Amino acid sequence: MDPESRLVARCLEGEEAAWEELARVYTRRVYSMCYRFTGSDAQAQDLTQEVFLRVFRGLKSFRAGEGTFATWLARLTRNLLIDHYRRSKLERVTDSIEDQLPMLEGSGATASRTDGLLSEREASEIVQKGLQKLSPELREAVILRDLEGLEYREIAEVLGIPEGTVKSRLNRGRAELARVLRQQRVLA
Amino acid sequence: MNCVELERLLSEYAEGALDEARKAEVERHLAACPACAAEARDAAAAVTFLRRAERPEPPPELVTRIVFQLTSGMAQRQQRKRSWLNSLGVFLEPVLQPRFSMGMAMTILSFSLLARLAGIQVRQLNPSDLDPVKIWRTVDDRVHRAWTRAVKFYDTLQAVYEIRARLRELTEEPGPAAGPGEEAQNGAQPDKKK
Repeated sequence: MDPESRLVARCLEGEEAAWEELARVYTRRVYSMCYRFTGSDAQAQDLTQEVFLRVFRGLKSFRAGEGTFATWLARLTRNLLIDHYRRSKLERVTDSIEDQLPMLEGSGATASRTDGLLSEREASEIVQKGLQKLSPELREAVILRDLEGLEYREIAEVLGIPEGTVKSRLNRGRAELARVLRQQRVLA
Repeated sequence: MNCVELERLLSEYAEGALDEARKAEVERHLAACPACAAEARDAAAAVTFLRRAERPEPPPELVTRIVFQLTSGMAQRQQRKRSWLNSLGVFLEPVLQPRFSMGMAMTILSFSLLARLAGIQVRQLNPSDLDPVKIWRTVDDRVHRAWTRAVKFYDTLQAVYEIRARLRELTEEPGPAAGPGEEAQNGAQPDKKK
């Protein structure tokens, strides 16, 4: 049994220390996904707490043979994010990129920086703003692959779509993101 | 290789994850297809930029909050398992609130005060006091006694009114010869006799 499965088994046995360890190990990953998707620290914190509440209630439904705990957790987080997205009124920020161009050009003129001079933090903020311009389908594919580093197979499992569709969404997401970054003049 | 085939390999090409043979094949197509070349450039640029982005760090208090949330949830779950009385407690939770408890306490106090005023003796209850037959007999006895008392009161009241009426007749008998002064005296007499 791998360490991850052992940890889950200990949690299922009701060991308090195991739950603490689970929270310490996975909070960073869940928060990162939530923050990248929503673009808001407060919302990401609330959603991360909600994810762990759902893990606490539904860990029994996790079957070790059907995939890793990390993939199961990513799927749970993704489902919560999509629910949250549908509930909230984020649709307005996913208007077509063309509608956003004048605004992006305006902000790009002041924030014009060459790619090489940006710090990791600045790059992260720019990526964050750029991701908010993508549709949820493309955004989640880019987040899971390029920011969370999941395998194509795992992403297909999390999103419930074939691997070919994952690759296609990823190509479109990256292309749109590149266009947004170019408009902000952070990409040559 | 055509554009559709390239689409399947493009994501891995942009990540630099293709083996040399596949990579050469893709690059041959890109050299001949400007649209795919532009798409590949964009994808590669996006991947490079995304890799530079710092991973957002959760605030330390979030981890603490989640740990507290999970461990307190765990403690609650274990406590719930400990006794069925707890489940009863959960069921009665809406009722067992300070305002309801105060209300109940005030009701009991009011009833005890009323019972004291009514002369009901408060004593230690025995199990035999809760016997339904005994309760029924006591209630039946009380009801009969109350009924008899009410009938007696009614009879007494009737007798009093009859005597009063008779007295009034006797005092009014002297007739029309009596003057206004006497009438006044006669009128006052029944009150005295009463």
